Amino acid sequence: MDTAAGPTFRGDLMDHAPCGCLLLDADSRILAVNATLAGWLGRSAPDLAGRPAAEMFSIAGRVLLETNLLPLLWLRGRVEEVTLDLSASDGSRIPVLLSADLAGGIDGPGRVIRIVMLKAAARRSFERELIEARAEAERGLRLEKRQGELREQFVAVLGHDLRNPVASIAAAARLLEREPISPQGHEVLRLMKGSVQRMSGLIDNVLDFARNRLGGGIGLDLSNGETLAAVIHQVIEELRAATPDRALRDVVAITHPVRCDVGRIGQLVSNLLGNALTHGDPDHPVTVRAATSAGGGLEVSVANRGAPIDDAVRDRLFDPFVRGGVGGHGKGLGLGLHIASEIAKAHGGTLDVSSAPDETRFTFRMPPR
Amino acid sequence: MSVIARNNVKVSGSGERAMVFAHGFGCDQGMWRHVAPQFRDDFTVVTFDHVGAGGSDTSSYDPEAYATLDGYARDVVAIGSALGIRDGILVGHSVSAMICALASIRAPGMFGTLVMVCPSPRYIDDGDYIGGFSAGDIEDLLLMLAENPLAWSARMGPAIMGNPDRPELGQELADSFCRTDPAIASDFARVTFTGDNRADLPRITARTLILQCRDDIIASERVGDYVHDNVPGSTLVLLDATGHCPNLSAPDAVAAAIRDFL
Repeated sequence: MDTAAGPTFRGDLMDHAPCGCLLLDADSRILAVNATLAGWLGRSAPDLAGRPAAEMFSIAGRVLLETNLLPLLWLRGRVEEVTLDLSASDGSRIPVLLSADLAGGIDGPGRVIRIVMLKAAARRSFERELIEARAEAERGLRLEKRQGELREQFVAVLGHDLRNPVASIAAAARLLEREPISPQGHEVLRLMKGSVQRMSGLIDNVLDFARNRLGGGIGLDLSNGETLAAVIHQVIEELRAATPDRALRDVVAITHPVRCDVGRIGQLVSNLLGNALTHGDPDHPVTVRAATSAGGGLEVSVANRGAPIDDAVRDRLFDPFVRGGVGGHGKGLGLGLHIASEIAKAHGGTLDVSSAPDETRFTFRMPPR
Repeated sequence: MSVIARNNVKVSGSGERAMVFAHGFGCDQGMWRHVAPQFRDDFTVVTFDHVGAGGSDTSSYDPEAYATLDGYARDVVAIGSALGIRDGILVGHSVSAMICALASIRAPGMFGTLVMVCPSPRYIDDGDYIGGFSAGDIEDLLLMLAENPLAWSARMGPAIMGNPDRPELGQELADSFCRTDPAIASDFARVTFTGDNRADLPRITARTLILQCRDDIIASERVGDYVHDNVPGSTLVLLDATGHCPNLSAPDAVAAAIRDFL
């Protein structure tokens, strides 16, 4: 014929399209292969005919082909988007993306397998990078977690070991009180006892924080609150003794049984009071209120006058290690409010704050059960 | 969780003796769907998924417990115990041929007959022993599996297949074929392809049938002969089938060979 041959479907598309095309028989032997795929493999199409298809893949590809792809083909009739490596005659690897189906479906008479492949080297290296990046991130996370745990354990051990010497100082101070000492000596002793009490409180908070971070949580030793009023009064009296120049008012009305951990509520009151005495205006009183309601509700609030809490600090107020803003005295670790809020949570309650120029008030509320 | 739920155990058929079918690496109990039903009239037929495959409870997976094939063999024995199997028949394909051999050694009274389909006690060459793979080949394979999440992801089972010819298949079943947890599959590949259970072969006391295919690149005829030579009193049958999965490519030949042996 003298008409110039135009592009043909079979020759230009099927044989030379930039994808590999392959037909296999039921024994996975090659029936036909297009010129593109034969070219990739460095073989000729007639050479490949009749060969086992597995031969064109890397060893790993062969295993995947036999254990997963062919079973899936027999069971489902098709597989899509599988990444495999071809093994060319010169030994080089060619990453491909492969889709295959059974012509005529899983019960078709011929059981002929149709396969197309696209080169996927860039995609493969991207996938490999993703896997490496994920492994790297997981390694980093594990390391960080481990180091974090070690830090918490260190803090827990340190806090625990500090308790003994502090207890010794407290006992020594009590012994000294019984000795004949000057009025100035008594004043020094009073200050010492205040410091010891503050130190004990700090250690308790540090220990609770470390335990909480180590997964122990704030443990509760629940009772019906028979000693609650006495414990709150004791906390107030201890702080009063430690800061005789400060006005400390209390309105404590424990009139109903309350299911709570009395020691923990005492710690909460101590933390809130300590915070108020530290940050409040020394010329104005600090007021503690505690009240119960029928059904086991409990509300404890501590109010003081002073510079209002900065908005930026306020959002993170109950986070650990947050210390008073610029105006604060920078005392303490910044754990007191955090532990207080954890104690509130452990009781199924809330700890809220309101802060204005005339009053800053922390309120713990435990609803009736 | 009961072992029945953990391993997605399915029991059908009726018969005094139980036949337990164990699937190999890369797939699930769907591998037996053309073979196991052929025994329902004469046997109680049991199929299941190894932990990590198919409908098993993947949260039961513990890398240490499954660090060797023995971990999987323990599961097979646990299934047998839960079902009260005595003198049952264990049929294991590919790596499960070895897993079932170990289970029969652990519980000889439970499984008196063993059918090993395309078995290999060791895939990596070792001196005169030709397993068919070099250590480098296997490292390559493990890397490939690690970086081929598509081959193992749930995306392999999208709702793409209607089976008008086979309504009994059901969409749900078709979707779940060979669904495999990618991380567990990687571990299972390592356990499967780096293991060496040659020393266990002579310890097999069950009556044993070995089914071998032609052109099986995973477990060659030479490996089949090795298994035959080392399992006392075993019978070797070369199937008229090619490749590594005759239970799918030639299910009738597999069923006929098993029936003849029984």
